[in-house]
Amino acid sequence: MNDMTPDREERSANLKGLGCSRKRVEDARFTQGKGNYVDDIKLPDMLHGDFVRSPYAHARVVSVNKDAALALPGVVAVLTAEDLAPLNLHWMPTLAGDKQMVLADGKVLFQGQEVAFVVASDRYVAADAVELVEVEYEELEVITDPFEALKSDVVLREDLEGQTEGAHGPRKHHNHIFTWEQGDEAGTNQVLDNAEVVAEETMYYHRTHPCPLETCGSVASMDKVNGKLTLWGTFQAPHVVRTVASLLSGIEEHNIRVVSPDIGGGFGNKVGVYPGYVCSIVASIVTGKPVKWVEDRMENLMSTAFARDYHMTGKISATKEGKITGLHCHVTADHGGFDACADPTKFPAGFMNICTGSYDIPVAYLAVDGVYTNKAPGGVSYRCSFRVTEAVYFIERMIEVLAIELDMDAAELRRINFIKKEQFPYTAALGWEYDSGDYHTAWDKALETVDYEGLRAEQAERVAAFKRGETRKLMGVGLSFFTEIVGAGPVKNCDILGMGMFDSCEIRIHPTGSAIARLGTISQGQGHATTFAQILASEIGISADSITIEEGDTDTAPYGLGTYGSRSTPVAGAATAMAGRKIRAKAQMIAAYLLEVHDDDVEFDIDRFVVKGAPERFKTMKEIAYAAYNQAIPGIEPGLEAVSYYDPPNMTYPFGAYVCVMDIDVDTGVPEIRRFYALDDCGTRINPMIIEGQVHGGLTEALAVALGQEIAYDDMGNVKTGTLMDFFLPTAWEVPNYETDYTVTPSPHHPIGAKGVGESPHVGGVPCFSNAVQDAFRAFGLRHTNMPHDHWRIWQTANGLGLHD
Amino acid sequence: MELNDEITINAPMARVYEALNDPEILQQCIPGCEELIKHSDSELEAKVVLKIGPVKARFGGNVELDTSGAPDAFSLTGQGSGGAAGYAKGGADVTLSEADGVTTLTYTAKVDIGGKLAQLGSRLIQSTAKKLAGKFFKSFGEVVDSVDA
Repeated sequence: MNDMTPDREERSANLKGLGCSRKRVEDARFTQGKGNYVDDIKLPDMLHGDFVRSPYAHARVVSVNKDAALALPGVVAVLTAEDLAPLNLHWMPTLAGDKQMVLADGKVLFQGQEVAFVVASDRYVAADAVELVEVEYEELEVITDPFEALKSDVVLREDLEGQTEGAHGPRKHHNHIFTWEQGDEAGTNQVLDNAEVVAEETMYYHRTHPCPLETCGSVASMDKVNGKLTLWGTFQAPHVVRTVASLLSGIEEHNIRVVSPDIGGGFGNKVGVYPGYVCSIVASIVTGKPVKWVEDRMENLMSTAFARDYHMTGKISATKEGKITGLHCHVTADHGGFDACADPTKFPAGFMNICTGSYDIPVAYLAVDGVYTNKAPGGVSYRCSFRVTEAVYFIERMIEVLAIELDMDAAELRRINFIKKEQFPYTAALGWEYDSGDYHTAWDKALETVDYEGLRAEQAERVAAFKRGETRKLMGVGLSFFTEIVGAGPVKNCDILGMGMFDSCEIRIHPTGSAIARLGTISQGQGHATTFAQILASEIGISADSITIEEGDTDTAPYGLGTYGSRSTPVAGAATAMAGRKIRAKAQMIAAYLLEVHDDDVEFDIDRFVVKGAPERFKTMKEIAYAAYNQAIPGIEPGLEAVSYYDPPNMTYPFGAYVCVMDIDVDTGVPEIRRFYALDDCGTRINPMIIEGQVHGGLTEALAVALGQEIAYDDMGNVKTGTLMDFFLPTAWEVPNYETDYTVTPSPHHPIGAKGVGESPHVGGVPCFSNAVQDAFRAFGLRHTNMPHDHWRIWQTANGLGLHD
Repeated sequence: MELNDEITINAPMARVYEALNDPEILQQCIPGCEELIKHSDSELEAKVVLKIGPVKARFGGNVELDTSGAPDAFSLTGQGSGGAAGYAKGGADVTLSEADGVTTLTYTAKVDIGGKLAQLGSRLIQSTAKKLAGKFFKSFGEVVDSVDA
């Protein structure tokens, strides 16, 4: 009989566990149009909501006349702040400790702000009725610049007037939100004052938007008979939404079921709580019918959760030989009309204090000032951990500027300042403890693969040819080396609205040896159903093909903080492994009983427990699962289930080395990406194919942000990039071929050594693309120019340097 | 947004000025004008249906005239709201001169637009405004001509 048993290699392959490029199980439904997104949810008698939004960026709302709208056949209700006030739902708390108007309460603070919510029998009727609501506004002075805001007499947030204390300490001015300081200011200034070389630069990381293909939306259904509220929505954190909904509405938490169905991309846009969610719930309670709200593209771009908008000033000091001695960073952060940043409570500027990057910098200081302006609220982590893209962009630009100051090669400058392998775990000047890394190996591998020396020689020749008038194209070599900080918790540091950032996994093994595992996270396209099954397969010896992964339904899934900031694998992935180990521990006892040996005399071997020293005597996990349910085993209760709530001891620190080679036509400003090489070290690799897909996606969003994507406002507070005509979303046309590579430096504290990867390529990619553009002009005296580097701005840069003369 | 142009109208200046102050003629010539009420010599109220790119809306607005430089110059300021579609406000300076019974009208206008109109139509506004102004003066020229004849 044992002759029929496949050999160990075959058994291992059958598991499709860690390291297997298993095809995504989700794709069968996605590629056949069988996904189930929020807008696919259709309930009997469902009503549709649509917002009346402010065309003004700053105005007093004098009156709202609903009569004409209510007279339109099919219109059921028109809600305003006045209607929500008795329920105390006209304002809602934000994730950042501020509050935000659900519907305009006396004034509007940004263009597109929600003024009234129309509920009608049909989406089209709702849209028609929106046009019939007559709102009288009285224009107020508009401030779109945070520096102006801090000088202006105009009080944006009249509701906070006189409040000198905010959620994160003292407020210096009526338009000021907080100052967040980290590090040693006096020590840093002393080093800078006495340094051999200091490079200074001011840079603006422009406002942009995650722009997922599926916009935000929700369907609320209040069952008045049973007192149960069901809420489907585009939620990256469904459990948090349930808790917040319960706290706000007073409905007990067990009577609220929140479901995140399939989500068509999140990238941070779906972390926050939006007025649309609140209004759909209220409308369903008021009408007793299900109410759907789905925003359109313009609404998505102008009102739900922007990203970035950081004005950063840096000073970096070094010895003449290029050893960095200190770093000073000040940020003026434009948060818009309400502070709705999605960051852990104690971190009002996210993890911006990772801005010392991958370098051993002895002393540093960071101060961030948050400011109100007449722009949309938000400040989410668009495909990055909390504000890490801003931090990495900042340090990677400062390194380039320092290289110019030192007249040194930027690759070499990085090499001599990297944190060394033997310094890990490394405590950075701004407090973080980096878990593991081997930066020099990754850097050398990257530079060797792209023939860095060869590229620089070619670039020098190109500059000479340009000066001789033989070419109009310059060549840029963009470098970036990044360290991400992902996987928030630990709970002692990280919470959102007081809820600790752990995560969870609950496993149920069925009698026939297949399984279901439920997690507190929610996939938005990352492939959780594929990869979490792989983690589990390796832990419990059941093939990934026989494991269902379920997320997003708060009635069935264990409590978790959701998916953003690359936290799913570091936190929920760890919970999965830990829960799997509990299953294995019980399975070991059952196997020992069945094999009539002591617990310690059996050992786990791929998909079975074998008697030590006698591998022909074994029980497979299938046999063990069956016995767990069907055999009376003394001292062991029936069933095979486990749950783990995992509070990580630290975050994980994935890193990577990227190189971009670009040719820029100075006359048209068009950049052509000739080569893009991305080496990622995300620790243990669970599914290399999914990693590659994530890297491609993250790089493409990095290309977008670096080369053109922005939310731009005019002086009147109009959003100038409110449609995909003006907001750059790359297509196959703009996207180059990516070369991906890797090193593996496992996380020492993660149960399987994995670190998370979905956001790394974005974090590393933005500075890499930007540095390539800027490097092309370095020989002609360019020090720094702000993103986005669209054709027009590149042309202007070339023009400003006299290259068109 | 700034607009300026110079138009030749085949009628004497006094006739042009008179016509420019005649609500009936104006209503007839302003593209999409549904209603034009003259409250006083310096105050007008108008309802106009405008279509710019994908945005079509009925704008209601007020215009104030400053005729202190008449008859060879006047200026106007105004604002209009198109509800969900957005709003516009601005002003124009108009000068008239006559040679051989032909009037030359020169104007410079400065217009600010906001809301959906500005977002969706921004790349179309300039050309649409030019087109509308062209339409107006074409009709206006014809009306003034025909009345003259």
